[in-house]
Amino acid sequence: MDKEEDPRNGVGNGTTTKKPRLSGFITDSEVQSEFSHHEAGVARINNGSFGCCPGSVLAAQRSWQLCFLQQPDHFYFSVLRPNLLRSRALVQTLINADHIDEVSLVDNATTAAAIVLQQIGRRFSHHQNDAVVMFSCAFPAVKKSIQAYVTHAGGSVIEVDLPFPVKSNTEVITEFRKGLSKAKSGGRKVRLAIIDHITSMPSVLIPVRELVKICREEGVDQVFVDAAHAIGSVPVDVQQIGADFYVSNLYKWFFAPPSVAFLYCRRSNASSSEIHHPVVSHEYGNGLPIESSWIGTRDYTPQLVVPAITDFVNRFEGGSEGIMRRNHVQVLKMGKMLAEAWGTSLGSPPEMCASMVMVGLPSKLCISSDDDAMRLRSHLREKYGVEVPIYYRAPKNGEGECEPKDKDGLITGYARISHQVYNRIDDYFKFRDAINRIVLEEDLY
Amino acid sequence: MAPTCPHTGLFCRLSLSLSLFHHPLCCSHSSNPLICLNPHTMASNHLNGDSHILHHPKKPKLSSTSTSLITPSEIQSEFCHHDPSVARINNGSFGSCPTSVIKAQQVLQLEFLRQPDHFYFNCLKEGILKSRTVIKQLINARHVDEVSIVDNATTAAAIVLQRIAWAFAEGRFDKGDVAIMLHYAYGAVKKSVEAYVTRAGGCVIEVQMPFPVNSNDEIIHEFRKALERGKENGRKIRLAVIDHITSMPCVVIPVKELVKICREEGVDQVFVDAAHAIGCTDVDMQDIAADFYTSNLHKWFFCPPSIAFLYSRSSPKCLDLHHPVVSHEYGNGLAMESAWIGTRDYSAQLVVPKVLDFVNRFEGGIEGIKKMNHDNAVEMGQMLAKAWGTNLGCPPEMCASMIMVGLPASLAISSDSDTLKLRAHLRENFGVEVPLYYRAPKDGEVGVITGYARISYQVYNKFEDYTKFRDAINKLVCDGFSCNLLSI
Repeated sequence: MDKEEDPRNGVGNGTTTKKPRLSGFITDSEVQSEFSHHEAGVARINNGSFGCCPGSVLAAQRSWQLCFLQQPDHFYFSVLRPNLLRSRALVQTLINADHIDEVSLVDNATTAAAIVLQQIGRRFSHHQNDAVVMFSCAFPAVKKSIQAYVTHAGGSVIEVDLPFPVKSNTEVITEFRKGLSKAKSGGRKVRLAIIDHITSMPSVLIPVRELVKICREEGVDQVFVDAAHAIGSVPVDVQQIGADFYVSNLYKWFFAPPSVAFLYCRRSNASSSEIHHPVVSHEYGNGLPIESSWIGTRDYTPQLVVPAITDFVNRFEGGSEGIMRRNHVQVLKMGKMLAEAWGTSLGSPPEMCASMVMVGLPSKLCISSDDDAMRLRSHLREKYGVEVPIYYRAPKNGEGECEPKDKDGLITGYARISHQVYNRIDDYFKFRDAINRIVLEEDLY
Repeated sequence: MAPTCPHTGLFCRLSLSLSLFHHPLCCSHSSNPLICLNPHTMASNHLNGDSHILHHPKKPKLSSTSTSLITPSEIQSEFCHHDPSVARINNGSFGSCPTSVIKAQQVLQLEFLRQPDHFYFNCLKEGILKSRTVIKQLINARHVDEVSIVDNATTAAAIVLQRIAWAFAEGRFDKGDVAIMLHYAYGAVKKSVEAYVTRAGGCVIEVQMPFPVNSNDEIIHEFRKALERGKENGRKIRLAVIDHITSMPCVVIPVKELVKICREEGVDQVFVDAAHAIGCTDVDMQDIAADFYTSNLHKWFFCPPSIAFLYSRSSPKCLDLHHPVVSHEYGNGLAMESAWIGTRDYSAQLVVPKVLDFVNRFEGGIEGIKKMNHDNAVEMGQMLAKAWGTNLGCPPEMCASMIMVGLPASLAISSDSDTLKLRAHLRENFGVEVPLYYRAPKDGEVGVITGYARISYQVYNKFEDYTKFRDAINKLVCDGFSCNLLSI
């Protein structure tokens, strides 16, 4: 194989090679080529759910996979660990973690949630009257994890409502303070607050730094930030954010193949020695990063391609920051274009979104349940070649001034559109036209 | 000229030849704990054939299915990604995967990358169900609900043991209640037992096991003793963790008998850790009748890394099993939970039907492969033991496709770290990949063999792999090599 492509030959540390190559930055057609494996004819405006992975990173992954298959013992004894360490070091720099021991690689945010919650749940069995606080729109899998590890162990769960549509950070902060007070009422101790950095559905960028500060002021034991979407979407500085635990998926917005995420655990956190990977193997007791680096024979290659990813992002002007900036500008532009075309509105102001935005759907679509939303999504996929998740927003009691409306009625449905480097304006035109047709022709779904 | 092996053409099965009866392995008089070979067992297990034939062109069988049987060169082609400079006699650790299965896996990976939402909503669940159905048939489970797919046996152990930990935490088990496991249980499983049982207040009892071992009776005897200890002072034995094929040292355990004894002695539940079993030895859930049974398909069943099944009998006690990574399917049964634990690459779990296609290109399918692997592993083990003047670690009927071969005492293996260093030395300087085991001398034992190699035989192996190993060790002995000389 071509030596230049062999990821094991080592390339510079991602953050130092931002100088443009002699041939300049990656071109449009090169970008399209990197994502040529995406299904043609599909307006793929849902990067948020499953992410994407460019051809050059997939090629790097394949070469790691081949390395294992060629001589797995040699891979296990000599190749795996040093290269996992290399990936972790790059992540450490990316997120401004103090020490590499704070960075573990796991499959995904769902796994990270299980790790953090198992540890919390273990303490619950000794104390009664303990509570956990989370947003009501927390990711469903995380809610189930809380049920499995907190409720099951006798803890109470307090949900904080997320106002949506939302106008400002202040609204979120106010609701959060209310939720914390409720949690602390009756002398309960709040053991854990789970805060999304970017909520999934509906998708909103949350002022995490402020919320973490409030948690500290209010005596919350531990703060876990579920930032599944964050890395590659917003700048991530774990020291600034100040949480005890912070997880983000690299395969969503950071071009990793499925799947790899990092879990950051602050060293100063007293419980960091009690945190374990639930799949116990030889490395049990050697710290979470080392435990996670071997949980039995598996394909660890998604965790090995972080150097190849940093090479990829550095082909873009401004590297990862440039990509984030342009995604943000474009998704807002497209969101506004759609809202204007349909006569609706966006679900949040520009500063409360990153590379995804919620766009109100015409009230004439009559979306009145989660099922409706799912059916519309399937219909868009199958009949119109558009892939986009749809959110049902139930009307609040008493239609007030604050309820989102268009000229025909209440807006009860929102589309979460994403913008990633492979997207083209035509993707959004296709979506605009599909909705217009469905409304015009009263196309039942 | 004896007939060549019709499947591989590479070398043949064990012969019934007289040479075996004069084998140093036959019961005799040395101080080594030698193995008595039962010639009748050998006779019934092996075909006629010359034992040291090298490459021979395959003679096509004159049957209507002959054209669909895989040829030797096709086999080599299926494993052409293996490093050709390595005598790869360690299939047991990480298994192997043929090219046609890897290709099928890549097609699935690409399908996901093409349009992941469509894959998630329309393809994934049914693909996992198909794989589970194939596995259910392979292992003779009653219902597909009893079959869950997980990453590996390590994960399966965490699932079973986590349930035990909850039972202690919720007071359903008393502190001091017992879990039994073999002394030779896999290291990772031992740690899992420590994490989930000891930490939760349970008491762990290990079954001592002799090695080298001469018969199933020795194991059964030790197992009964351990059960008695477990029940002392009115304690309840909540779980027995029994290996089907121990890892190091490698021995096939009489699980069916041990499960029966557990039932007789009132052990709550039995978990069989059969990481190596599927594709290696017979796996029949009705026959073995354990409560939980797990085996890796990426070891001996040609799947890519990684996939294992966890079988749990449909009885009320088993409804409370959960995958530790909780996602949308929580509460819908372990099989559903395991089929979605967040976004990941599930392709290794989806290729099982393709693997069945591969396996059925061999005569006798997986049964034929198992038998051939067993016969060849035994033959190669005996060849090596004879060449080195050592012994095997167990009789042929207590091994499947792996066998423990004693290493010459002059190598002076005297610790676990010696085995790792010697193993690395063999890998780096001789191109031989084989795991080594340190067998500490017992009190009063003198001049015993302290090192054993666990050799594997899988369809891609060749006679030369083992002669390469033979010669490497002979050279080391000849050069006066000793583990004392290896740097730290």
